[in-house]
Amino acid sequence: MADPIIEADGLGIRFVRNRRRQLRLRELFIHRGGRNAPAGQFWPLRDVSFQINAGETVGVIGRNGTGKSTLLRLIAGVLIPDEGSIQVRGDVAPLLELSAGFSNDLSGRENLHLVGGLHGLSAGYLKRHFDEIVSFAGEQVERAIDTSVRHYSSGMKVRLGFAIISHLPHPILLMDEVTAVGDAEFRKKCYATIDRLLGEGRTLVLVSHNEKDLTRFCRRGLYLDAGRLTLDGTIAEALDAYHAAVPR
Amino acid sequence: MTSGVAALWSHRNSLRILVKRDLAVKYQQSVLGYFWSLIEPLGMGAIYWFVFGVLYSRDTGRHLGDAAESYPLFLITGIFAWMWTSSALSEATNALTGQSRLITTMNVPRQVFPIGRVTGRFAEYAAGLPILIAVALVYAAHGRVELGWSLLALPLAVAVQGTLLIGLALLLSAFNVLMRDVERFMRLIIRVLFYATPIIYPLSLVRESDLPGWLKVGYELNPLVGIFQLHHSVWYPDEFPDARLLATTVVGSLLVLAAGWWSFRRLEPAVLKEL
Repeated sequence: MADPIIEADGLGIRFVRNRRRQLRLRELFIHRGGRNAPAGQFWPLRDVSFQINAGETVGVIGRNGTGKSTLLRLIAGVLIPDEGSIQVRGDVAPLLELSAGFSNDLSGRENLHLVGGLHGLSAGYLKRHFDEIVSFAGEQVERAIDTSVRHYSSGMKVRLGFAIISHLPHPILLMDEVTAVGDAEFRKKCYATIDRLLGEGRTLVLVSHNEKDLTRFCRRGLYLDAGRLTLDGTIAEALDAYHAAVPR
Repeated sequence: MTSGVAALWSHRNSLRILVKRDLAVKYQQSVLGYFWSLIEPLGMGAIYWFVFGVLYSRDTGRHLGDAAESYPLFLITGIFAWMWTSSALSEATNALTGQSRLITTMNVPRQVFPIGRVTGRFAEYAAGLPILIAVALVYAAHGRVELGWSLLALPLAVAVQGTLLIGLALLLSAFNVLMRDVERFMRLIIRVLFYATPIIYPLSLVRESDLPGWLKVGYELNPLVGIFQLHHSVWYPDEFPDARLLATTVVGSLLVLAAGWWSFRRLEPAVLKEL
């Protein structure tokens, strides 16, 4: 069997509250000093190990502030772990933030080229598929494509962001609460697109509080509690664990 | 380090996109657009020419040697290169803080952001070169400067300057995320550097001054000194830095690049958490 496409081993990351108080150059350069840890440190994620094979669909479940989004950021490579390691064998198409990294000063058109280009789409590809991407984002965005993104509603931003991400050929999809702000029509489009992408054999890691989404797309579930991976099983098992922890 | 460089190279397309974006944003709402990158240094040059070329012309002329007959060319040669230095440094300082949105959602080598700022300002410098060459040609036509092999000092100057600026940009951008004081501090530093570098005056003026010896040595440790001597030597071969100064400059710039690269790698995890 092939190597797992995502492999986390003893993954941990440490944040510091009130960093201003204890900012010392020495500490910046010498990681893991080992001496008694200064107060205010906490681990949003620690000792997390799992393997995800190509084509798997994984839902990450947990209460607020248990490290779900941090985990996605680690997989996407926009955070660097303090402990353990994470190996990702393949390009990642991340939709981590609703705004997808748009710069407010630029128009939708320029942002599309900027974000698409930074994600590795060639200028030629973007030009050829420009109309397709924009029309996917919906009529509202189509009309506003030459005004600056500053004036977009959050729904418009996420639609354009999703339209770009869904055109990436990358084998791994990361999504963080994508469907939360879209209207019903957009959600339907989203679902159809995700289904299509999964049909092509992509790997999905989804963070959501929406159980319908989770059960619809994911077969495997990771349940995070206080920064630890407490359950790694089917999505139903993970949801059960979640319900056990959160009284309805 | 080699893997980092390879990753950077494979993302050179991202670099291009970012530079284009920066230039687009910068000039999109101004009527004169890119001409601003010429007007500013030319204006500055005019001011210094008025003060030192007109008011203090006798003193200035005495120390300039070769360049006495063509002080305006001497001035704008230095000022064009200085604009690249100063704007690259001040813009690189907030290269990470100002683009945190992109950095926290996009997995590209983070070095791209500060290096992009240096490259963008280099593009402006390059856009000004035709003006510089036109001025030099006018003086050459009057026989006040001679163009020859010394023109080859230009690519050398640009290469060394680019090395130094990229090193500083990496260093400053990372530190600025963790300590926003850096941004304020840089404004002062840039002003100090302007006068601590032979841009509007010739190096010989410092060498022949009454400054204590240790201060003169310290002055020449600044890699910018040799870089600007190289720039000036393009038209005035006599200004070409001697072996010691050239070695100091080249080695100093490479050391800064290595230090910048190393500390950027070291600070990267903390920087990403902070953004």
